[in-house]
Amino acid sequence: MKNVLHWNPPESLRGAEVTYTVQYFIYGQKKWLNKADCKNISRTYCDLSDETADYEHQYYAKVKAMWKTNCSKWIETGRFYPFLETRIGPPEVALTTDEKSISIVLTAPDKWKTNPEDCTISMQQIYSNLKYNVSVYNIKSKRTWSQCVTNHTLVLSWLEPNTLYCVQVESFVPGLPRPAQPSQKQCVRTLEDPTSALK
Amino acid sequence: RRCLISVDMNQLEESFQEIKRAIQTKDTFQNITILSTVETLQSIKPVDVCCVTKNLLEFYMRRVFKDHQELKPQILRRISSIANSFLYMQKTLKQCQEQRGCQCSEEATNATRIVHDNYDQLGIPSAAIKSLGELNIFIAWIEKNHQATSV
Amino acid sequence: DGVAALPAPQNLSVHSTNMKHLLTWSPVVLPKETVYYSVEYQGEYESLYTSDIWIPSKWCLCTEGPECDVTDDITATVPYSLRVRAILGSQTSAWSILEQPFNRNSTILTPPMIEVSQDGFHLVIELEDLGPQFQFLVAYWRREPDTKEHAKIVRRGGIPVHLETMEPGAPYCVKAQALVNAIGRNSAFSQTKCVEVQGEALPL
Repeated sequence: MKNVLHWNPPESLRGAEVTYTVQYFIYGQKKWLNKADCKNISRTYCDLSDETADYEHQYYAKVKAMWKTNCSKWIETGRFYPFLETRIGPPEVALTTDEKSISIVLTAPDKWKTNPEDCTISMQQIYSNLKYNVSVYNIKSKRTWSQCVTNHTLVLSWLEPNTLYCVQVESFVPGLPRPAQPSQKQCVRTLEDPTSALK
Repeated sequence: RRCLISVDMNQLEESFQEIKRAIQTKDTFQNITILSTVETLQSIKPVDVCCVTKNLLEFYMRRVFKDHQELKPQILRRISSIANSFLYMQKTLKQCQEQRGCQCSEEATNATRIVHDNYDQLGIPSAAIKSLGELNIFIAWIEKNHQATSV
Repeated sequence: DGVAALPAPQNLSVHSTNMKHLLTWSPVVLPKETVYYSVEYQGEYESLYTSDIWIPSKWCLCTEGPECDVTDDITATVPYSLRVRAILGSQTSAWSILEQPFNRNSTILTPPMIEVSQDGFHLVIELEDLGPQFQFLVAYWRREPDTKEHAKIVRRGGIPVHLETMEPGAPYCVKAQALVNAIGRNSAFSQTKCVEVQGEALPL
């Protein structure tokens, strides 16, 4: 739910000192609203996460360019519906190993908040049927397999000792196709098997 | 207990995404909504879900899809896909509703009446265009209330 | 005007397997001429509410072969009417309409192909990728007396999926069937395939 408006600078004014002003509109409401800290800015993006925090509403945004005394017309986005169109970030993935197993602890991604003081809302609260697709890659055997899980802990047992395994996890919501984003690939090595050291 | 609908939500959403930009661009009344998600649908109580779904399916099938005259084949195809999926839903819901009942409380009836009033006030063809552009609100409602995966 | 009317195609029928739907008809044969065909469809919604509307098929607006893949046209589980006409230059034949409307819930569902393998002690299955409409019910068990059969829903084919951590000493067997929620049906089970893990028994 981090919703950022991006745009490209006017082709004809590359390198010129152009500034931009952004407004947004809540579909069904009455008028366009100013985004205070995106007025006369020179960057080409504007974070509208706070303004679009109510994910059940739909929104428009528009931006215009100003250069010297000239002003462009407004350029408007399509209608944006956060509940259906936001990308679901990956969970936090914590791995711990012993000789023959890897314990995976997943923490659902949080809804984006600009102010750290604001209370934290988990995406699990918004999408109650949030699930995870865990992919495991055995470096030695070069085999990959995946597993779909709902709860937040998973133990991969009876792995090969002293072997590097890579884990990547993707959150997804069954039903409507929402864009998803896999986690960073994390690789851990299972421990040496002490008994094999004695042989 | 809810009536579950085994309809291909991916297909529905994909069909909507194909028509979304073309349809919503034609909707120039940004300050008006037909389904008015926050005021109307979000305030519906679980006991009224069945009635509102039944009424909204009827609204789309008897009014919106009929009133909208579409010339572009690729958009016509997608609207037909959605319309026939709604017809299938209506049939499968009917069986479930007959077993479990599907009463309409005053709030549910009011919510439906607001939708029809909004539609009448805007008038055809604008109202049909706007309602098609708001299909994603209804699709999200169906996913939230009638999908096994949303348990 | 003396020009013989272009005959309409005959013997329309739909062959449907694993949610792929093919409309076929007998070709109109005219010496030294290439006859084209145009296909249109109407879902039950159109026939009930807007019966004058027929929708051009996505892939067969003007096609040569006496067949048309209507999979992308039949996208709901309701009866669909289909019609075909022949085209030769500026001439078009009368429409021929499919005798019985087609509903995709009559599609033939074949048992899925499965690949069962192991990665160390881990039992892994890879199922045939039959498209987004398909899920799979996978049944697996350890082949020994009084064994219990386990089941798992696999959401899509084409990727290896972990089933179970195996214990040495007995083979593990797997079979699967395809599920299509959109039509509320499933295929028969596939062949059973078994693998056995070598090595010492797992400590209790």
